[in-house]
Amino acid sequence: MARIRVIYENGSPERTIEFDPAAAPFQHDGQPGSVLDVLLGHGIHLEHACGGNCACTTCHVIVKQGINSLSEATEQEEDMLDRAPGLTPTSRLGCQAVIEDADADIVIVVPRYTINQVSESR
Amino acid sequence: MERPAYRARVERILEHSADTRSLFLRTVTGRMPFYSPGMFISVKIPLPEELRIRPYTIATSPEDGEPFELIFNLVPNGRGAAWMFERKVGDLLDFTGPFGAFTLERAPDRETVFIAEGTAVAPIRPMLRRALSQPCSHSVHFIYAAAKPERLLYRAEFESLAVTNSRFRFEPLIVQGKELYESLSDEVARRWVHGDGERRRDFFLCGIGSGVLKLRDLLRGAGYERRAIHYERW
Ligand SMILES: Cc1cc2nc3c(=O)[nH]c(=O)nc-3n(C[C@H](O)[C@H](O)[C@H](O)COP(=O)(O)OP(=O)(O)OC[C@H]3O[C@@H](n4cnc5c(N)ncnc54)[C@H](O)[C@@H]3O)c2cc1C
Ligand code: FES
Repeated sequence: MARIRVIYENGSPERTIEFDPAAAPFQHDGQPGSVLDVLLGHGIHLEHACGGNCACTTCHVIVKQGINSLSEATEQEEDMLDRAPGLTPTSRLGCQAVIEDADADIVIVVPRYTINQVSESR
Repeated sequence: MERPAYRARVERILEHSADTRSLFLRTVTGRMPFYSPGMFISVKIPLPEELRIRPYTIATSPEDGEPFELIFNLVPNGRGAAWMFERKVGDLLDFTGPFGAFTLERAPDRETVFIAEGTAVAPIRPMLRRALSQPCSHSVHFIYAAAKPERLLYRAEFESLAVTNSRFRFEPLIVQGKELYESLSDEVARRWVHGDGERRRDFFLCGIGSGVLKLRDLLRGAGYERRAIHYERW
């Protein structure tokens, strides 16, 4: 079984779940077996304004542990991450980062600001 | 921090064809925030077994205010699109946003090529208006591809824009008997890869599926700067 621990920068209580990556997809938004797929499929909300289509960065997560258990980022994910506020070297898009290791032990932080929202002011 | 949510009422419906329509929406709670051309709203679609989130691009310009327009088509087995299609005048729709990184904030300062297919014209339409909003000398191309003429939306609008604006070139492309992106790739390669050695151009690509990524790779592989190739894949 794989494990994922979710820490919220805004202080919400953290969550940990265990799951079998081979049982993916758990629902149908984002890449099957992605962090987004696993969390939504286990009743944990992660924002996904573009429906998990790599078009917004609202599913930005910072991987604190287990980055090598995740699929490599595609060029499309890298292009989109470039636009994410608070980007770090271990940032990933939850809808694109697929958990590939059956025994993965992953810790992610959901940043306070994931906005890729209104960029014009009144 | 909870993201602000909005509710809008369907004010008008425009039927483009049997499987494509526009909803004109006016917010009834909150006020639609300002947005950049190309942005989408994130619509909450309450299906019986789940709350589905689907992005739909604002096809009108920020300058137009409300009602704002969403344009969409039915998708095989697509329950979100089917729900959108069932909306009637007076129905309410909840959304967050606008969001998005595929935007054009200001008129570009060099030659710019827009490429879209079918309803993926939605972000390009307000972008074109922004791109042509400043007087300057470089050209703005719009290659608009579809398998059938009736899938080219707002054709008269783009044609008349090309008449009134001499630096805008509207180029509809009907692709029959060949894969859409194969034709688009051939056209792009002929004109902007092999046609000259100039690499100071911006491209904005929007469409459905992996063909968009193939166009991206073609252009980046030909030496255009990574950041000059803007794209959104639906
Ligand atoms: C940033 C963004 C903006 C978008 N804006 C629009 C918009 O303005 N208008 C619009 O019609 N759609 C738009 N879409 C697509 C839309 O969000 C939904 O994916 C689409 O309506 C299908 O959702 P569904 O739940 O019915 O089907 P799903 O079961 O989720 O089906 C998804 C499949 O449909 C394909 N698909 C997505 N859009 C289309 C389409 N228009 N025609 C044919 N196949 C499609 C996808 O590539 C995918 O294979 C956008 C997508 C993104 C990522
Ligand atoms: S949900 Fe939009 S990029 Fe992941």
